[in-house]
Amino acid sequence: MTRSFDDPMSKVLLIARSEYLRRVRSKTFAVTTLLAPLLALAVVALPIAFATMTGDEAARRVAVVDRTGRLARPLAEALPPTYTVIAEGAPVDSLRARVLDGRLDGYFVLPEGLLDGTAGAAYYSRGVGGLAQQAALQAALRDVVRAARIRDAGAPEAVLDLLGARAGLDLVTVSAEGDAADGALASSAVAYVLGLLIYVAVLIYGVMVMRGVIEEKANRIVEVIASSARPFELMMGKVLGIGAVGLTQLVGWSALMLAFSVAAGPLLALLFSPEAMSAPGMSLPEGASGELPFDPEELPSLLGRLLSPGLLAAFVGFFLGGYLLFSSLFAAVGSAVEQESDAQTLQLPIMLPIILPVFFLPSVLTAPDSGLSVFLSLFPFSSPILMVVRMAATDVPAWQVLLALAILVAAFVGMIALAARVYRVGILMYGKRATLRDLWRWVRTA
Amino acid sequence: MPLLEVEHVTKRYGQGRTAVVAVDDVSFRAEPGRIFGLLGPNGAGKTSTIRMIAYITTPDAGRITLGGRPVGPATQRLMGYLPEERGLYRKLRVGEQLVYLARLKGRSASEAEAAARRWLDRFDALGWWSKRVEELSKGMQQKVQFIATVAHDPALVILDEPFTGLDPLNTDLLREVIAELRAAGRTVLFASHRMEQVEQVCDDLCLIAEGRVVLSGALREVKRRFGRDTVTLAFDGGDGWLDALAAGGAVEVLSRTAGHVTARLADGTPPRRVLEAALAGAREVVHFELHEPPLDEIFRIAVSGDRAAGPSDHRAGGGPGGALPPGQAPRSSGGPIVR
Repeated sequence: MTRSFDDPMSKVLLIARSEYLRRVRSKTFAVTTLLAPLLALAVVALPIAFATMTGDEAARRVAVVDRTGRLARPLAEALPPTYTVIAEGAPVDSLRARVLDGRLDGYFVLPEGLLDGTAGAAYYSRGVGGLAQQAALQAALRDVVRAARIRDAGAPEAVLDLLGARAGLDLVTVSAEGDAADGALASSAVAYVLGLLIYVAVLIYGVMVMRGVIEEKANRIVEVIASSARPFELMMGKVLGIGAVGLTQLVGWSALMLAFSVAAGPLLALLFSPEAMSAPGMSLPEGASGELPFDPEELPSLLGRLLSPGLLAAFVGFFLGGYLLFSSLFAAVGSAVEQESDAQTLQLPIMLPIILPVFFLPSVLTAPDSGLSVFLSLFPFSSPILMVVRMAATDVPAWQVLLALAILVAAFVGMIALAARVYRVGILMYGKRATLRDLWRWVRTA
Repeated sequence: MPLLEVEHVTKRYGQGRTAVVAVDDVSFRAEPGRIFGLLGPNGAGKTSTIRMIAYITTPDAGRITLGGRPVGPATQRLMGYLPEERGLYRKLRVGEQLVYLARLKGRSASEAEAAARRWLDRFDALGWWSKRVEELSKGMQQKVQFIATVAHDPALVILDEPFTGLDPLNTDLLREVIAELRAAGRTVLFASHRMEQVEQVCDDLCLIAEGRVVLSGALREVKRRFGRDTVTLAFDGGDGWLDALAAGGAVEVLSRTAGHVTARLADGTPPRRVLEAALAGAREVVHFELHEPPLDEIFRIAVSGDRAAGPSDHRAGGGPGGALPPGQAPRSSGGPIVR
């Protein structure tokens, strides 16, 4: 140690080191670092897996009552493969009875006026199933009815073929590094994930700071520490130590997620297009690759393209800035109470500015270059979340990013100074519940 | 030369009409190689005073110096503080905790570890090194906290009610260690409201009540100032004779159990009058002693005298009501009185 001990920085670092090691070595840390990505993965993957599975398994037996006299056959062909038409032309009463006792899943009634548009078709069942099922049924019927109407209008077969041909829309993001095909959907997903991650991280580690302060105050160690270091050093040490815990955990999580996604690429491919795996090199039937917005096997490289080094650096920078801004406030609130349950009301004014930007996330995503979006991505209470979202969604000029960072730094320096004044009075205050007005008085008199 | 000097220190909490004066123009000095007792009932301002010495808070008026330097971040390294409300990191292991706290006081990692091991060994507790604090009993935690107070070898050791919660064996052990600190030339500031403990341990004392110094000086001298006006008797038989004496105003009974009594003589009551009454009234007198009043009695007298005389002149004469002997002037003499 070349540093003189009276240099306050060395005490801050000593405190930060102790705070860091105490937490990183705990079982809780290991468990949350390992389990959180698994949990996140489960939250994303399970619904997809369920949807795929139930979609494949549930075979449905249906009947068609066709009063137009020529739609039953085409409809049977147009329905999803899980639907089997087992009866045509049976009386409605008996079909209804069979649906009720479960021998039939449902029946279509296609009235005479369906083709000229004077009557609507109906599907009777005890429950259609999910939105996907409804959409599939509607699409099948619409295709069949349209084809018949066009044929009735005298259109040649060629027109029908043209109408049936796929008209996909490829979304291409243009950037200086080159065009990224199919990237728009993925990049807004990345924007969401990064924005929410910063939000969650600032909240988690901010509350961790608050808990640490309350714990020190509740078990009275704070008086011993205060006779060894300045309250400001103690607060900064804690804030920096826990910030380092947060970074460590984020790095751990990213490493695990990367490992998962490398492993998950082939896995997803297997799940969504078995043909692709069983016969590599074979060209896929048209439309088969339309289920995912990207080629599963290219997931790692896609992530690599979406998470550019600049975006990652900004993510870390804005996370740290947002964390420093809010955690010092959490420290101030923690210092004013003796147990966590008392912190609720005081916490509210901190929670609000953390939560509010999340509500703006969709509008920033849809219009990342609007005046509001630019303002929100510069304003220090919302920039940690929304600037990262903007950067993931669009090309943000470098000067705006730097300006947002500079404003954020100025904001957290001021906020730390303010919080330190509350903290210094609060940590020694026992027996009386402090109100927001008390905190403000401490700020002014300290 | 005193290590610690507290000069005309005042501390207020709150502001405006609700302001409370916790410490009011307090002055005293504590010297190396001696144990200084800071006494007073709960809420007298002891902890407020100590916090200013430890530079946890700062005085509104007055000056505190440690080793000739005004207290500040630098002097925090020279002192160790055992607060009345004990506290340690519950999840942290004992060794790591002691090393961390000593390093916060400016010791290097290796110095801190060596000192922590030495002190744990002194308390027969080396085996606790890698135990978490929460696994220890309350008494054990208290020892760990005491070690945390002294492990960085501070010149000033501040102990706020150090004996609370200790069993008799550990009380003796701690008393021994405090004596060692004194012998090693450390200044010990011992804060307590338990007068009998102070009487057993301290060399010098300062009595404060309601934030003000009511009495200060070397223990022996303080007691001498009050004179030998208290008698203790041990006897067999009834104690009805005592009631007659007390009713007549000749004595004031301080403590009374079967066959044992301590009483303070009123002005003009010769000691022999009590003895004669006892000889006449009791079956047998087995012990008779004339001595200075016990410290808690001195404290009671000093505080009531202070109240009776008012804040501006609270040490008027040695009369029955005013109680403080002449020459006792802790405040208006302009400086602290130590010996």
